[in-house]
Amino acid sequence: MTDQEKIAKLEEIWELDEGTLAADTVLADVDEYDSMAKLSLIVLMDDDFGVKLTGDVIKGFETVSDILKLMA
Amino acid sequence: MYNLVDLTDRRILVIGASSGIGKKTAITLSELGAKLVLAAIDEEGVKEALTELSGDGHAAYFVDVGKLDEIESFIKKIVAENGPLDGLVYSAGLGTAIPLAMSKPEKVQNTFNVNFFGFFETVRQVCKKGRYNPGMRIVGVSSCASLRGDKSKAIYSSTKSAMDSAVRCIAKEVADREICINTVAPAMTATELYQKFVDKYGEDSDTNRELTSRQYLGIAQTQDIANAIAFLISPAARFITGITMPVDGGLTTS
Repeated sequence: MTDQEKIAKLEEIWELDEGTLAADTVLADVDEYDSMAKLSLIVLMDDDFGVKLTGDVIKGFETVSDILKLMA
Repeated sequence: MYNLVDLTDRRILVIGASSGIGKKTAITLSELGAKLVLAAIDEEGVKEALTELSGDGHAAYFVDVGKLDEIESFIKKIVAENGPLDGLVYSAGLGTAIPLAMSKPEKVQNTFNVNFFGFFETVRQVCKKGRYNPGMRIVGVSSCASLRGDKSKAIYSSTKSAMDSAVRCIAKEVADREICINTVAPAMTATELYQKFVDKYGEDSDTNRELTSRQYLGIAQTQDIANAIAFLISPAARFITGITMPVDGGLTTS
């Protein structure tokens, strides 16, 4: 899966318009990145990538790129 | 001395006994004299729980209540090996927190299988002739989530509401067999599920602070819930049936 495809998945679960996110997008600048978005991310990572995210890991995310690295 | 919650030699099946509320309940019931039949999907955990019980005459089994077609044979087996039941505590459950958009049908189904359909089928099976003694008590572990609305809890809350609705109806149906059935509705309790909540949101998060301000007696200990279950499963609760009892540190009325 390419980074662009992974970004598209994030845009889909956060209901963002296509092209809203890029690898260097700062998550704190994304209004929609709230507690529900984080829960959606937890489900996506578990379902599609077999990664179980914890609160500490999520707190460490600064940019979209930090998430992409775990979408192996 | 008079003991209000005397469970001497009462045979009680506890499903979901390997951890959390189920395990603490099993230990508490054994201290009150009950003979426990423990069951859980975590085979090692349930064997470990068995070693923590008081008294003797207890047994432990593996069961996956999500496999509904295996529940009948499981109940037949434990009754054949241990005798008819005087009580059932259903504490198996999945604590899902999933936003609506991510709540695909298989996630809804999986949670319902364990939290509700497994409960319903277990109740159906233990209420058959020869599998219970008159005066049997059934307690399902529901949740305050069934009484409240919260983001990401639609699936979980629905399963618990289903339990509560079911017991109101089943209670009337089994009353002439001297069976009482109720649920307890714990608020946030210090279990592995709560630890996951803290891991997810952080202990100093707004979400956790908001929770503890509404649940003003603090986070429940598993013993608090076990005590309520012990009373409801005892002969002393013979006039209580078809209800959902909040055990909630004030949350429901806050």
